[in-house]
Amino acid sequence: MHAGRRSLLILILLLAVVSLLIPAPAAAHAILLESNPPPNGKVAAPDIPIKLRFNVRIDASRSRLTLVRPDGSVQPLAIGKPASEDTLSALASNLPPGDYRLRWQVLASDGHITRGEIPFSVTLA
Amino acid sequence: MARLLQIFGFLSVLFRGATLTFQSLTVGGIVFLLFILRRAGQESEALQRVSLHWIRRSAIALAAMQISYVLANSLILMQSAEISLREAAGANFVIAGAIGILSALAIVILTGASRSQNPSALLITAAAIIASSVMTSHAMARLEYRVPLVVFTALHQAATATWLGGLPYLLIAIRRAQSPDYARQLSARFSQLALISVVVLASAGLVLGFAYVGSLKAVYGTSYGAMVATKALLFGLLLFLGALNYQLVRRGPSSTILASLKRFGEAEIGIGITVILTAASLTSLPPAVDLTRDRVTGAEIFTRMAPRPPRLASPTIQELPEDVYAAQKKAFESGSLSTESYVPGQAGTRPNTPAEKAWSEYNHHWAGIIVLAIGLLALVAQAGHVSWARNWPLIFLGLALFLFLRSDPEVWPLGPNGFWVTFADPEVLLHRIFVLLVIGLAAFEWRVQTGRVASAGVRLVFPLLIAVSGALLLTHSHSLGNIKEEVLAELSHIPLAILAVMAGWSRWLELRLPPENQTRGIMARLWPLCILLIGAALLNYHEM
Repeated sequence: MHAGRRSLLILILLLAVVSLLIPAPAAAHAILLESNPPPNGKVAAPDIPIKLRFNVRIDASRSRLTLVRPDGSVQPLAIGKPASEDTLSALASNLPPGDYRLRWQVLASDGHITRGEIPFSVTLA
Repeated sequence: MARLLQIFGFLSVLFRGATLTFQSLTVGGIVFLLFILRRAGQESEALQRVSLHWIRRSAIALAAMQISYVLANSLILMQSAEISLREAAGANFVIAGAIGILSALAIVILTGASRSQNPSALLITAAAIIASSVMTSHAMARLEYRVPLVVFTALHQAATATWLGGLPYLLIAIRRAQSPDYARQLSARFSQLALISVVVLASAGLVLGFAYVGSLKAVYGTSYGAMVATKALLFGLLLFLGALNYQLVRRGPSSTILASLKRFGEAEIGIGITVILTAASLTSLPPAVDLTRDRVTGAEIFTRMAPRPPRLASPTIQELPEDVYAAQKKAFESGSLSTESYVPGQAGTRPNTPAEKAWSEYNHHWAGIIVLAIGLLALVAQAGHVSWARNWPLIFLGLALFLFLRSDPEVWPLGPNGFWVTFADPEVLLHRIFVLLVIGLAAFEWRVQTGRVASAGVRLVFPLLIAVSGALLLTHSHSLGNIKEEVLAELSHIPLAILAVMAGWSRWLELRLPPENQTRGIMARLWPLCILLIGAALLNYHEM
């Protein structure tokens, strides 16, 4: 192969590697607009209705809600029938007081996955 | 698994950009074939065969990219949501991808050598490709005004494909046309089609811009708004080149005019791909209208961007937070150096300390001084009076050394982490490869400037690398939400990216335009000026 062409090929390969390594964007299409419980909010024990509203339509059947308990254990929450296309809802029952985190992962209709975490506290009713 | 998901996350962005590019080339080729070549009479038969060949290749590439995109995203979904392949297969993006793949494969069959092409079937499959793309756009995910937004998105994408996707076919046709007059006739016809496309895509773009950005404050206050403004600016550049082409076509038949036309067309294709890649990155940002809190204000931008003396004293390594090293070492040992970057709200991100910001500002400012020197000497060299100024590319070696030493203070040679960490952390590896690229840039362009190499291909390395760097900077500028610092950082990087794109393509035009074209002289002055401005912008880069 001609020397100039070979060097050119090496450079193109290097560029390809660079483009592969450049930090990818978080495919952040869906963003959380409001939530119950709100971030860092306090809610009364024991049953907590959970409702998250996003800026776009959500594929609820392929989205996930998980509760991280005060002891660090993780409990998946069953997602209920959504009231509207931009909402995820669930019920967390029998929660003793303590600090919790609600982890959410949603699939927007464009295929982008978004994740987030809402810390909240459960207090005595 | 986190590492694997991260790799798929990287790849899915690339696949998306490539899908949009090949989509434009496939659809643009079909429109060119049916509305330009087919109507140009018997003379165009050979050109039709060549166009069919390239449409077929673009469709094959499109199918491959779509398959890769759907596979990567399905795997991410299956792993992160712990669902089966069957469940993932019902997702909207999989259905949209399947329509795109089947349409692309149908085009491969329809454009096969042994078959006579059916124009309406080709048009229907082209429309299906646009439909599959619109299915995964912002428009389909909206709750309000979905139908009109879908229509405008489809018009925007179809017009983009007709204009930018049709351009390479025009260049092929000009090159292979039997006579200059016939080539000019094709160009004039394409100009009319391009003009209509420009009107459609600009009108649809305005409507979409109004729907997704909403206000002037959101243009500079959010990442989405800033990227839309960037797209509009690049579109303006394209229009300028298009107008030069339009003038050429109208001026009369001549082989030199056609030569200029081809060269402007090449730059238009390059900038066009940059615009398409910017559009691909826009699809992964939340629309500005949805981000009403924590927008960056004009006053905040002014405070950040107001000229200040450069920082020429660096904090010591000891002043940088130790947890950077500790976290990196721990992650390296556990084999999970990076967080899952395809999701927002990821763990491991924290605001930079003042010392880290100062370290970064010092890096940018010294890089600015070096780039400023490159631009100045290049400008002097272009004037032709000072012969030693032609060695300006060697200054890039200084930049390479500086980047090598300073870009990753936690790693060898300055930091406590050893040389091999370079290969385990994508970010460090990226910086190290950038260093190699800068060295390559210096070597190639020095040989070109000092007349040591005459090969036309080697002369194009410098403009291509600069233009590609600008495009990558735009494609990968992202902000997860309304974190002000990220928006401000993006606002600092966007001018650098636009200047790099302009520098690359103006140098390209200087090298490629025929000597009698007067624009060539302007381009010869423009690119060193852009490099000079990049240096000045780097010198005024601030993180606090």
